[in-house]
Amino acid sequence: MRAGAWLVLGGAVAGFLGVLGLHRPASSSALAGGTVTQGPGTQGPGTQGPGTQGPGTQGPGTQGPGPTASPGRTTTAAGPPGTVTGPVVNYGYGELATRVAISGSRITGVSVPVIRVAEQFSQELADRAIPVLRHEVLAAQSAHIQAVSGATYTSEAYAQSVQAALDKAHFK
Amino acid sequence: MSAPSAAFGTPKAPAGRDRKQQPDRLPAPEPHPALARIALLAAGLGLGSTTALTVTAEPASQLSAPGGLATFAGSLTGMTGTYLALIMVLLVSRIPAIERVAGQDGLVRLHRALAPWPISLLAAHALFLTVGYAQAARTGLWHEAGTLVNYPDVLIATVALGIMCFIGVISLRAIRRRLPRDTWWLIHLWMYLALALAVPHELVLGPSFVGHPLTRLVWSVLWAATAGLVLGYRIGLPILRTVRHQLRVVEVRSEGPGVVSVILAGRQLDRLPVSGGQFLYWRFLTLGRWWQAHPFSLSALPQPPYLRLTVKGVGTFTRSLTGLRPGTRVAVEGPYGAFTRYQQRRRRAVLVAGGIGVTALRSLLEDLPRGSAPVVLLRASRPEDLVLGAEVRELVRQRRGTIHELVGPRAAAVLDEVSLRRLVPDLNYRDVYVCGPEGFVAAIVALARDLGVPDDAIHHEAFAL
Repeated sequence: MRAGAWLVLGGAVAGFLGVLGLHRPASSSALAGGTVTQGPGTQGPGTQGPGTQGPGTQGPGTQGPGPTASPGRTTTAAGPPGTVTGPVVNYGYGELATRVAISGSRITGVSVPVIRVAEQFSQELADRAIPVLRHEVLAAQSAHIQAVSGATYTSEAYAQSVQAALDKAHFK
Repeated sequence: MSAPSAAFGTPKAPAGRDRKQQPDRLPAPEPHPALARIALLAAGLGLGSTTALTVTAEPASQLSAPGGLATFAGSLTGMTGTYLALIMVLLVSRIPAIERVAGQDGLVRLHRALAPWPISLLAAHALFLTVGYAQAARTGLWHEAGTLVNYPDVLIATVALGIMCFIGVISLRAIRRRLPRDTWWLIHLWMYLALALAVPHELVLGPSFVGHPLTRLVWSVLWAATAGLVLGYRIGLPILRTVRHQLRVVEVRSEGPGVVSVILAGRQLDRLPVSGGQFLYWRFLTLGRWWQAHPFSLSALPQPPYLRLTVKGVGTFTRSLTGLRPGTRVAVEGPYGAFTRYQQRRRRAVLVAGGIGVTALRSLLEDLPRGSAPVVLLRASRPEDLVLGAEVRELVRQRRGTIHELVGPRAAAVLDEVSLRRLVPDLNYRDVYVCGPEGFVAAIVALARDLGVPDDAIHHEAFAL
């Protein structure tokens, strides 16, 4: 009986360390929530090209007026003048990048030029969360925002991308 | 023509040490003790991997986010909870190779000891995640709970948790004691349904699985394989054996006050791989009985075309067995149990039976080779309770063994350190096999330990009635 307990314990330690060891090399390439990947190269066919959408209403699926951001389908790194694009942030259930429009010392708009999600449910969550998050950023004039209920991961990725964009623009 | 019971009355002379001399029956396959060690190691590996998968699923920075700590605790309890639930199912999946090594009472004991863990872990999982998400969203617990059940598959998982908690509550000792055994057992089978409802949300939403197709595949295969084992060994194999052997009651014979032997006839019984000391679940296919299966030891090795079980009437069901009609069809599941000659570590053995425990001892004894010189101790409160005594005496004589019958009230026929030493002077050179009611078995096992018999030389099977 005692020997059995040691076997289970030994197996558990070995299994734990084994998976940890296997995980390390993979983490740089595979999805690891919160990992920040720089650059536009990650854009794929699933990307939401926001062509007709304005910066203010950039939730995928929501239409809105506003001329600020209409980046080309193939580039996300460089938006129109006055905008700065944040990195693509992977949040486990998907990945997104934000683009922030800055006029003087004010954030005037946030759009989401890149969003890819793992499944339909996450898409719905993102559809719901992104307009709220945009509103929060505009109100707070910073990336210090609250998570949207039930869309914690999306919210964090959004905030992270906005913060990185603001840093890039040396905002405040 | 003599009665079928006569086939068991005068046991055939035993085979020699060479087991190959007994070609008339398929012997039970030999157990491989290494298998139990491999299974334990694999169980540990799985537990460690599961924990590591949870830890690596999200970056450490997530912990400091609002609700991060509670969310992590929720993931960890969820993953380990379901993993332990998987182990719980495997423990009772009746894999023959494992049953032969660990014995069903050992496996069920482990299943019972482990049971509170998965249920509490999964309840904690739901609680932690609700708290964590509520903190992240800065909303109230109830509001967050309302949001969460709209997540895919979470509503049915919540129903599953409800079922699990209900089963957990009725399994609390104070409540379970008040429930009829069959009622409790049937309700507790709902756990299979609960697990089937609970697993999908984990695969769809779990941070260890989303975006990790390999992990998701491995986890799905693990559950599918477990379901396959349960269906195959708990349902498929019993049906196969029942159909193959076509057992019917041919005789019900009184062996003593309240004790009956049921003799069954069937086909191809030489193909039933059974060892002396093992038991089967018997399902007598009559109107009032078909839905309950009861474990009884074979009280003799099969004598094709006959099988015999001997039962003491202690409950409603066992007392009703005297009324069994010849011709009644019988379904079987088994044989199970590790209380066999394969467990013997030393050259000699002492076999101790309390009361009706003599049934398993009787068939085990039959499996011991000629010249094995066993010491047999039979304990009974009254001379007439010493059932199958004549058969046991004959089997002991054939094997040049010794028999001691301790009959009388406990105070008069006492089995303590002194008397056991006196009756079995070479106790420390023998394996000790004990069979009987739970209290009796526990007492003898403790006694043998006190006298210095190591654990691996003590083998027991308790009847829980």
